Amino acid sequence: MQQLLDILASGIHDAKNQLFQTESTLVEAETKHGIDLGEARYAIEAAAQRLSRTLTAYHLGRHDQALAVVPSVVCDLCDEVALAQRHHLAAAQIKLEIDCQAFDEWPLDRDLLTDILNNAVQNAGRFAKSCVRLSATLEDGGLMLCVEDDGPGYAELPPAGGTGLKLAETLAELHTRHGRHGHLHLDNGSALGGARFALWLP
Amino acid sequence: MSNPYAKKRFLVIDDMPTARDALRTVAQNIGAFAVEFAANYQDALYRIRNNAPDIILCDYMLGEGRSGQQLLEELRRFNLLADETIFMMVTGEQSYEQVVSAVELVPDDYIIKPFSPDKLLLRLDRIVAKKEFFKDYYQAKRKQEFEQALALLAKKRDSEAGRPYRFEILRQQAETEMASGDAKTAEETYRTILNNYEFPWARAGVARSLHKQERLTEAREEIERVVSSTPTFFDAADLKASICMAQGEAEEAQRVLDEVAKKTPRNYLRKRLLAEAATLNGDDETARAAMSDVIANDTMPGAVQPEDRLALARSQVNANDLITAEKTLVSLKESELQNLSLDLQASYAALLAISSPGRGKPRFAGLRPALMSAALESSSRLDILRAALTHGDHELADYQAEMLMEADDAKKTFSSTRKLYSLHGREMDFRNIQKQAALARIKHDAQAG
Repeated sequence: MQQLLDILASGIHDAKNQLFQTESTLVEAETKHGIDLGEARYAIEAAAQRLSRTLTAYHLGRHDQALAVVPSVVCDLCDEVALAQRHHLAAAQIKLEIDCQAFDEWPLDRDLLTDILNNAVQNAGRFAKSCVRLSATLEDGGLMLCVEDDGPGYAELPPAGGTGLKLAETLAELHTRHGRHGHLHLDNGSALGGARFALWLP
Repeated sequence: MSNPYAKKRFLVIDDMPTARDALRTVAQNIGAFAVEFAANYQDALYRIRNNAPDIILCDYMLGEGRSGQQLLEELRRFNLLADETIFMMVTGEQSYEQVVSAVELVPDDYIIKPFSPDKLLLRLDRIVAKKEFFKDYYQAKRKQEFEQALALLAKKRDSEAGRPYRFEILRQQAETEMASGDAKTAEETYRTILNNYEFPWARAGVARSLHKQERLTEAREEIERVVSSTPTFFDAADLKASICMAQGEAEEAQRVLDEVAKKTPRNYLRKRLLAEAATLNGDDETARAAMSDVIANDTMPGAVQPEDRLALARSQVNANDLITAEKTLVSLKESELQNLSLDLQASYAALLAISSPGRGKPRFAGLRPALMSAALESSSRLDILRAALTHGDHELADYQAEMLMEADDAKKTFSSTRKLYSLHGREMDFRNIQKQAALARIKHDAQAG
């Protein structure tokens, strides 16, 4: 089993290396010809993310991966999600608002959390009419990360979850501090009128 | 505004030519003008040593069994990486995050492939801002002005601008307190971090500061927690081994080090520690193999020191291979010997007096007055003791044994000392010396109490 996992991991690693070379070829072309290939690069990064997420979901499902918790700057995390998604959303005439009110470093698994938030923003973008908002606030002694949109809201609650949502749930649960676990809450109570994805970390 | 990266010198380290090109493209896209390449570990070390770049983009997998993490550790070990230099790890491995969360030496940041030039720029801008924030502290730290460094950190901790760095400030504070010799305060600082979150490196910090305070049982408990919860944290295993040795449990120390050394075959600091544990444990073959490996393969200029050759000679003497021990010892030049501390000169003379009495005895005799009076390290005292027993100098031997048993690290050397005495049929004499030392300690403690 471990051997199979190693083969998968190394295949994904190689694929991501090649995707990076592809992306840098596009960057070269952009500079040379003065064109914007942002959407193509977005697709490349999204594909790489899918690969990583699949592996992570598998590991977490087997309970053989602990979180890698490091002190992380919450506002930086939000900025990265904005950088990754804003261009793509703008192409669909959707505005991405960032509102970070959590100014301290927070102990969390930075890479997994960034991936989860990217995924949540992507999902929200598919249903939003004109606006998606990512906010970070301190709540109940923890960190609340919300992704909201002004779309029609979830058709059913709880929604039939894909890999992304399941992963978000597991990831929240795995974050523990002072005996408290994180949690994920989904509802249609967004101030923008649509769906709300609320991830709370201790 | 001019591009801050235009004037910076970049070094891209990657063993794959296509990956190097991709990294160069990204670096040039954010305005880098001077981008150099290194194709492997040795090449990277050479370039950084001769002309340190401003920004290093290093792939995690460097081929030939080398990793970017090893390079980073080697650079820090030889002080080749100023705090102002940016070291960014580049990796396709999601699992590098696991590495970073469980080591004490971390790069400034790491970035997972594939990534856009914008993302690299965002990350670099952040590191630049952070280094700017800590700039005056780095300077004080480099000059070893610990009080000043701590005052600067205290000011930063209370500032609004310091909020995004609150853990980093505490971590630097604890490290500075350790470096200044205040292990008690360092322990408190690490505990402050742990009150917020159970970071393995902070728990290891508590163990390290307890070890420094000679509170060995508590130190052992703390480090056991780290080792069992984070088995990939190899530095924690080293620390556990050091604590075990201090507790007189050389066998357990060697077992721990054997296990991690197999996973990190090119970590030569760990090999040295393994040799030390094996020597205390009486496993001369392992000690000899480890030190031979160090001397043959720790190739950085200045890495192999006279004490390493002495450690090798010690293991050869222990294994009774006196001819090879003599060869090892005489490979040290007279000019090198002149510059050695008294501790190392004593070890050299003692080991030579055993392996080559004709050459070594006169030198050893010349040092005798100093050996009967000076303060010496326990490792040197063991060498002197051995030579004195071999040549029947009871007075010198018994004095060393007395000093060893009265020293703070008596537990560490106890079983080696006893073994040497019994090898020469003098167990009873040793038992008396030990009894005297125990009595003296009780008397001393009673007076102090």
